[in-house]
Amino acid sequence: MSVSDATTALTEELAARDDMIVCEGVNKWFGDFQALDGITAVIKEREVVVVLGPSGSGKSTWIRCINRLEAHQEGRIVIDGVELTNDLRNIERIRSEVGMVFQQFNLFPHLTVLDNITLAPIWVRKKPKAEAEDLARSLLERVGIPEQAEKYPGQLSGGQQQRVAIARALAMEPRIMLFDEPTSALDPEMIKEVLDVMKELATSGMTMMVVTHEMGFAREVADRVIFMEDGQIVETGTPEHFFTNPHEERTKLFLSQIL
Amino acid sequence: MTVPMGDPAAPVVDPAEAWAGEQEPARKPEEPSLSAGEWLSKNLFSSAVNSVLTGVFTLLVLLAVRGLLNFTFSEERTWRAVKTNMRFLFTHAYPQDQYIRIWVCVGAIAVLSGLSVGLLARTGAGISMKKLSMNLMGMGGVIGLGILLREPSAVVDSEGLVVHREAAAVGDSFVDWLDTNALAVLGVLVLANVALAVWFHLQGTYLRDGPEPRLAHGVLVLASVGVLIVQQYATGEIARESFVDAMADRAWWWLGAVVLAGSGAALWFGLGDSRRRNTFVPAMHVFFAAAGIMVLSAWAYPWGHYAFLEGEFISEPGRTVAMTTKLPWTVMWALLVGTFLLGRALSTAPAARRLRVPLNLLWVMAPFVLYWAVLRDPDLDWDHVLSTDIPMAVFFAVLGGLVVWYLTHPRIGEAGRIMAVVLVGVAVLNWVAAYFGWYPMLQKARISFLLLAVVALLAHNFAGDRSQRLRLVVAWVAIMAVFHWLVTLVNSPSTVETPTDALIGGFGITLIVAVFTLLAAFPLGVLLALARTSKLPIFRVLSTAYIEVFRGVPLITLLFFFTLIFNLFLPSNMSLTDIAGATIGFALFSAAYLAENVRGGLQAVRQGQYEASDAVGLTTVQRTLFVVLPQALRVSIPPLVGQVIATFKETSLLAVVGIFDFLRIADKVISAQSEFLGVKREGLLFASFIYWIFAYNMSKHSQRLEKRLGVGER
Repeated sequence: MSVSDATTALTEELAARDDMIVCEGVNKWFGDFQALDGITAVIKEREVVVVLGPSGSGKSTWIRCINRLEAHQEGRIVIDGVELTNDLRNIERIRSEVGMVFQQFNLFPHLTVLDNITLAPIWVRKKPKAEAEDLARSLLERVGIPEQAEKYPGQLSGGQQQRVAIARALAMEPRIMLFDEPTSALDPEMIKEVLDVMKELATSGMTMMVVTHEMGFAREVADRVIFMEDGQIVETGTPEHFFTNPHEERTKLFLSQIL
Repeated sequence: MTVPMGDPAAPVVDPAEAWAGEQEPARKPEEPSLSAGEWLSKNLFSSAVNSVLTGVFTLLVLLAVRGLLNFTFSEERTWRAVKTNMRFLFTHAYPQDQYIRIWVCVGAIAVLSGLSVGLLARTGAGISMKKLSMNLMGMGGVIGLGILLREPSAVVDSEGLVVHREAAAVGDSFVDWLDTNALAVLGVLVLANVALAVWFHLQGTYLRDGPEPRLAHGVLVLASVGVLIVQQYATGEIARESFVDAMADRAWWWLGAVVLAGSGAALWFGLGDSRRRNTFVPAMHVFFAAAGIMVLSAWAYPWGHYAFLEGEFISEPGRTVAMTTKLPWTVMWALLVGTFLLGRALSTAPAARRLRVPLNLLWVMAPFVLYWAVLRDPDLDWDHVLSTDIPMAVFFAVLGGLVVWYLTHPRIGEAGRIMAVVLVGVAVLNWVAAYFGWYPMLQKARISFLLLAVVALLAHNFAGDRSQRLRLVVAWVAIMAVFHWLVTLVNSPSTVETPTDALIGGFGITLIVAVFTLLAAFPLGVLLALARTSKLPIFRVLSTAYIEVFRGVPLITLLFFFTLIFNLFLPSNMSLTDIAGATIGFALFSAAYLAENVRGGLQAVRQGQYEASDAVGLTTVQRTLFVVLPQALRVSIPPLVGQVIATFKETSLLAVVGIFDFLRIADKVISAQSEFLGVKREGLLFASFIYWIFAYNMSKHSQRLEKRLGVGER
């Protein structure tokens, strides 16, 4: 089966699924600098999309626009059928549907691991405390650190912290998970433990959008790779297509520099 | 490693640990304690420069100590003025027959403290025997040195007049020569110190050639001490006791010094090195022992007596302490120790942790209860209470309870927002109506309604399951009960009659104003800080304007405004007492400073914390309460405590608006008593000492708090 056949088959299969994230002509400026330039993309349910690109290309800005940590200025972003506007209620609804994992973990340092995870389920999802704690413990089991529940983030290693951050996002039972360079702040020996958790998440059918420099992860797990440069989407394709036979010169140049 | 949950009794053995148990574990070798000589040469005489510094600063410290001692124990000091006026200093003219109220207050605080410390304080290792014995020896040594450095008493004749020495006698002996030339001799000793260091340094032998250089420095330091002591007994024209007589006069002090130093030394030498370091006494036991000794002193030492009884001041230098003072203090001590032991006994119970919240609430409530229900003894109008106050409290408790129950439903949605907005509208309308006089309404009903509206606005942030909602309803009912009860008490006149309109004076009013100022200023300061960092321009502008205005105005101006001018703006049926006005002035002023401190803490919270809270869907209120404020307040503990201490000391400005506070009594009032005309320095020194004790304790406590809250953070 040729690469283009695979792409066609994927496209057909995806077309049958629901749209989870729809971006149409999204533009964003920081001052006079245009960070996003006409981003148009659709991410389907259960799809794992890896966003690649040189630094400053707008990957993080885009992913942060999707749960409104940054506001886009032109174009449309629709998450699971709800359009992101300035309406606070829409933003609240979308944020509780979309989990996010940050490069710097951003755990709450004054709360124990368990409290970090149960905070939002209790106050946003209005779950009873006992139920939220059961959920938190099962999520810690899932990310492989059930014994750390009573510790504070400062007492954990970077890899453990990032896994707690993933558990915290999952505790809201989101339909979409966003990962903003989740392994960039980690020591090399801890990257694997976080990637393993992400792989497990991908096989469980979570819709994921991942900004990363881990080419191995992109190749192995991604359904689709999006390459960005200067705030624009340069090329989109399956990992085979992207890593073996890219169309664009800029993509080739990027790959030659990092591979 | 997973722990088998089914069988808690099953021992869980980590294989790695089991293996390690059989091996001899690598341990850090214990460093033995240094002997006194080793400690000195390591810390004070380790190099030429260090030795010179030690010599010079020892001299300076000794000079300062001698100055303070000679000031304190001089014949010119009339300490009787402080001793006799002790009660006056602490409570001013509080009537003696009502004094039981003050003891109830102190007793309540003792019980609360004992319970809190016993139940909740972490039982750390305590004070090691090493530290304890060193402190005891140190205290004994300092007292001994103090006795030696203190000026001997002047010799008086049979009429009590100071005897002057005959001019011929002056300059006869070596001692008199030393007296005149003491400063020059000390200067020579210092120069010798420096020369010695330079010489050894140039030789390059300071550290290599055995103990001689250090010994030489030590001798010079001791010589300086000797000169200072000898000089005390050769003072110019006034005839002084001889050295032997002076020491005999101070026999009791010597006894104290010897007992302290001796018990310290006994501990030090009686216990071996490792036992000395590894045996610990609970810190509280040491504190209780010290407090016990002080209480005992009231039974043994004649402090004197002062009282305001049936409209008259009575002051006696006294041969004893009044039974109405020493007996209550003994009871207070027993209450403190008893409740501490009770708390300790209870602290092992599983329910003890759940007592933390009620105990902390009691602490917050204590100032209000003690001040309004105990010190003021309200003269309640029971007809009014039964016909108006209680029904109104019940009405708001029920109405608010229903509103809270309804609005905290997890899926209340739009209906909740509309209802909250309607309530806010009605609350605002009530105040507008008050201004134009459309319809009469009790002030507390307006305030209750406003509270309800604010709660309704915030309610959706705290929605949850049934038990959660029930807790909020209970909290609302409790708030209403306490609020209406307090307002009723505040509006009732007091039955306690005092000669001034201030209910209690002295240190009592200092504490009361400081506590209420902080209780009001803290929430206000936090709100101002949040408003100043808010995204909404109206909040930002208002808060910035407030802070800049109140920080830019002198505190005294504010005090004058709120005690003298503010009443003119109030409706004719309302007025502020001086104390209430001053407290408001202090609170508004401190709030501006506290706000800036908290803002510093808010800025230290990293952007990622905001993003993470947003990303999990917390609302702004939830984000602020659960994520931002806990971190910001922890960071700002040191400046906040600084502000608390400053506020505590600033209460001495109460004197300028005519309130008899601690400092005013110490400074102006005692010195105007016919018996102690012009006696000021004693009172001022005593007042400084008491302020210092409190400020130092606050500082210590905040350090402990910082340490405790630092748990889990790198």
